[in-house]
Amino acid sequence: MRNPIHALSSEDRALLRRHMRKPVLTFLALLALLAVNVALGVTVPFAYTWALEMAVVSVMVALILLVSMEVRTEPPLVKLFSVLGFFWVAILVGMTLTDYLAR
Amino acid sequence: MSEALPEGVGVARAEHFDSVAQQRYAATLGIWAWLITELLLFAALFLVALITRIEHPEATVEAARHLKFWIGAVNTVVLICSSLTMSMAIEFSRMGWQRAMVRAMLATAALGALFLVLKGYEYYADYQEHMMPFLSGRPYELAQSPASRLFVNLYYVATSLHALHLFTGIAILLGMTWKAAKPGFLGRHQNWIEVYGLYWHFIDLVWILAFPILYVVNR
Repeated sequence: MRNPIHALSSEDRALLRRHMRKPVLTFLALLALLAVNVALGVTVPFAYTWALEMAVVSVMVALILLVSMEVRTEPPLVKLFSVLGFFWVAILVGMTLTDYLAR
Repeated sequence: MSEALPEGVGVARAEHFDSVAQQRYAATLGIWAWLITELLLFAALFLVALITRIEHPEATVEAARHLKFWIGAVNTVVLICSSLTMSMAIEFSRMGWQRAMVRAMLATAALGALFLVLKGYEYYADYQEHMMPFLSGRPYELAQSPASRLFVNLYYVATSLHALHLFTGIAILLGMTWKAAKPGFLGRHQNWIEVYGLYWHFIDLVWILAFPILYVVNR
């Protein structure tokens, strides 16, 4: 069992950097997007702020799905499953809101 | 997973699979099939929250003013941090760094527990403010606004269901950490960490949707 904390060789450090780059960048991007949403929530700068907030959330969800959950690199059938889930949600939300918003 | 796994890291093939690759594929597909059902469950709750806002805008905004916005925001940061530690555990498992992987898993469980503590405090503050309309023996703060009950009750259903998923996730994670600390684990079950990681990231994803839909857009 290897301990990554003590006495890392330059080879190990390079390996660590290569493996951690993506998770750390995703983490920073998610925090930045959350900061945008919190700032929008606190200030509510214009009437349709909610639309921008939901757009920011969509980017956060896409980041988690594609990068953290690695859908981008999964085989086609797994990609299809993940897309289908959101497709059904889109039908559920789309058809229901069509009714409520058109009354 | 784009890189070849080092020696001593992999999956022991179960006899009903033709190959390790097929076994990994089946496990990933299986967890995704389940996550989709979970997604539909939470999506229905979030949809009802949006409808409540459309049908009763004043009552929903009034009720949402009582939510602890900053605790919700801090909890979102906590879960994003836990997603980072979970991703690190997955990467450490792929590198064959077992001790680092176990520590990252424990950090993930600790962050999950911190989320639940903050959520518990939020519920306690709600109780103190008489914001629990489902308690028959306790007067409700917004009794003059019956429609606000819809949003507040929905808030409790959605957040407690999420908390239940997180609690279950922490329990499974701790059990798996105990197994993962044993010698030879990474040679037989490395993909368990990846499959479990999908569940943890999904819990994070649900909260990332819940926070704006319940706390932010109703302000």
